[in-house]
Amino acid sequence: MAAGFKTAEPLEYHRSFLKENCRPDGRELGEFRATTLNIGSINTADGSALVKIGNTTVICGIKAELAAPTVDAPESGYIVPNVDLPPLCSSRFRPGPPGEKAQAASQFVADVIESSDVIQKKDLCIEKGKLCWVLYCDIMCLDYDGNLLDACIIALLAALKNAQLPEVTINKETDLAEVDFQKKNRLKINRHPTASSFSVFDDSVIIVDPTAEEEGLSTALMTVVTDEEDRLCMLHKPGGSSLSGEKLQDCINRAVMRNREVSKLIDKVMESVKAKK
Amino acid sequence: MASVQVSEAEKVYIMHGVRDDLRVDGRGCEDYRHMVIETDVVSNTDGSAKVSLGHSDILVGVKAEIGKPRALVPDEGYLEFFVDCSANATPEFEGRGGEELGIDLSNTLYKVFNNKHSIDLRSLCICPGEHCWVLYVDVLLLQCDGNLFDAISIAIKAALFNTRIPKVHISEDAEGGKEIELSDDPYDCVRLNVENVPCIVTLCKVGQRHVVDATLQEKACSVASLLLAVTHKGMVTCVRKMGGGSLDPESISEMTETGKRVGKALHAPLMDLLKKEEGLGKNRQKVGFLR
Amino acid sequence: MPTDTKRLRGPEESQSPMLFLPPDAQILKASSRDGSRGHADVRPIFARCGLVSQAKGSAYLEAGNTKIICSVYGPRETERKDETDMKSGRLLCDFRLAPFSCLKRGAWIQGNEERDLSVALIESLQPGVCLHRYPRSQIEINVVVLENDGSILAHAVTCASIALADAGIEMYDVVLGCTLRQDGDTCLVDPTFAEESGNWLGGYGENQGRVTVALLPNFNQVSGLHADGEMREDTLTEAVRTCMDGCHKLYPVVQHALLRAVKRKAPPSVK
Repeated sequence: MAAGFKTAEPLEYHRSFLKENCRPDGRELGEFRATTLNIGSINTADGSALVKIGNTTVICGIKAELAAPTVDAPESGYIVPNVDLPPLCSSRFRPGPPGEKAQAASQFVADVIESSDVIQKKDLCIEKGKLCWVLYCDIMCLDYDGNLLDACIIALLAALKNAQLPEVTINKETDLAEVDFQKKNRLKINRHPTASSFSVFDDSVIIVDPTAEEEGLSTALMTVVTDEEDRLCMLHKPGGSSLSGEKLQDCINRAVMRNREVSKLIDKVMESVKAKK
Repeated sequence: MASVQVSEAEKVYIMHGVRDDLRVDGRGCEDYRHMVIETDVVSNTDGSAKVSLGHSDILVGVKAEIGKPRALVPDEGYLEFFVDCSANATPEFEGRGGEELGIDLSNTLYKVFNNKHSIDLRSLCICPGEHCWVLYVDVLLLQCDGNLFDAISIAIKAALFNTRIPKVHISEDAEGGKEIELSDDPYDCVRLNVENVPCIVTLCKVGQRHVVDATLQEKACSVASLLLAVTHKGMVTCVRKMGGGSLDPESISEMTETGKRVGKALHAPLMDLLKKEEGLGKNRQKVGFLR
Repeated sequence: MPTDTKRLRGPEESQSPMLFLPPDAQILKASSRDGSRGHADVRPIFARCGLVSQAKGSAYLEAGNTKIICSVYGPRETERKDETDMKSGRLLCDFRLAPFSCLKRGAWIQGNEERDLSVALIESLQPGVCLHRYPRSQIEINVVVLENDGSILAHAVTCASIALADAGIEMYDVVLGCTLRQDGDTCLVDPTFAEESGNWLGGYGENQGRVTVALLPNFNQVSGLHADGEMREDTLTEAVRTCMDGCHKLYPVVQHALLRAVKRKAPPSVK
């Protein structure tokens, strides 16, 4: 019976749960799905991380390459994030060039990197005006069940923390770069941003970490990015119903809490990876 | 790919014929259809050939251009393939249908021909890491009547045989800068050694046996075929199973055996023919497109 | 090169740090497989179904460091209406190598290699699927290679056939894949990436090649055969046979993974 109700009147179905301050999957309104993290599982990448938030699975692999810096910014390197939603992760995505959603997610990740200063681009410079690192952060969704952005940012942060780059020096005589794969350096992580997504139901009820179904039924979506010092890095609210300042403050508070939880998780996994070695 | 509809009765007829080593057009199972080869047919290419096999008509042009070697192999040139499936060949090629088939065909050709076994890629290198010859092999399908791969491979071999790459000189100026100079004499050319270029033999499994150079009707009776690229020494350089069916291990080894035999036997007469045609010089009789 | 306007692009040109290594340093060491694994041994595989919640069926397969994930959607109504043969269904395949999956970073745009792999995958799987049961419909197979440590086509075939079975698509048999690398007189079954490319890039000798076989184990029929390189005919025949043995070794693991998935989906009724 419940299954029939769910398919026929999905919105009513969800409302009936929300009235009781809970959600169809048993969560409370302000509860995130179980988040798990796996770091460094891809050996071909310089850094990698796999994040699962409930069913949503995202993998981020970082490949570092060498390039010449731009003329405008001779002292900074590049960070190139791209989010891909292959047809593998959900039937709503088609093969071919990235759709709107993937493009928006890529831009979001790029904006977070830019505004939060997660890595100072100066640190990627090897020789001013000549050589710098390009970090290609390729993020792939393997299972799409809502809240893509949160997962992307966690995966990105964890992969950056995991990344190790070989040492590069410029030979003074030949003026050519020399790479030493024996010596590897970690990246200097400047800030630890995390994202928290909210969705608004019927213009009033706010729930965190929406599933794909909840995302589809909600009237507005919002993502708040904060860093470890509780600073607001970014607020992403693409249209939808309006929200009072009070409610927004609640969301930011929840995001600050979430940042603590995620940081703890990343640290714990990093520790266990180190312990294994 | 081009296909025809064949009724059940026709299928039974064809399959019984193949069982008795007598095909509808009178050939045995390992015989090719009548083949016409003509080289040097397109004047603005560096090498060209036209091959007709049955009613399949293929035109191949080779153009040599100077390019940059690939980073991984700085001392080698390379080949690029492009297959144009003209809508003239069969109505199915209209629109995107031909485009997709073209990409698939050129991918396979790339695997078959662009390796060190078939052509000495090092001989295409002009200056390691900086300049090399890139051979653009353009294949034009004029008419499809089955067995495209075999006909294409023969046409490519003939066109490469016909290819003349201009000689170049590298002169170094006082500052160590290099300059490439093309030879003024149009007859001052380098030829490619095509001895090792493989020919493709496609074997179609029809009933319990397999046939060489299948017509479209025979192809319609077969569920799986095996494509083999064979060099003149009888080495197998590429194998692909095509079609929606499966093959049992016994027939695979039989088919490889036949493919090797047929392929090996194909090379010597082909080379003889090409040399003979070249020997005729300008006096040879042009068959041309309009026969 | 078409410019990709739908993705964020980095600098015009960037190079892998591998290119800056001193020429004598070898990144890929072709191991001689001392100790742990014999020449004819396949790597132990780990296979599991149902990891992609949104898909009809899915599978994840790990063999050594090679990691492949596959999902199956459908059958749904075919998009191509011009198809003459509507009596049987069609398999569609989207094969991707994740940009970080290879030693050198790959492009996002599907390259020739990926196209080639997807054609090969479809041809290998097709004989195993009862396509006549799905008229006018298409079945979509999506494969992503997360890490390429050799033999990706073979493992993708196995992985995709598990995913098809998990999706409840009617099949004659599962399809198993196995790759072999022939290097002179030695042949290495289920090669790693280093073994696969090894002296491939260096000088070519006689009898060098790579063979991939897809097998329907219960019918003992070869559904896919892919070979490159230069081999004698008898070596090739022998290689095909060795690959078939390799495929059979995978069968128990695949069976186990499928059984597990079925048990989970339909828990045995408690009496």
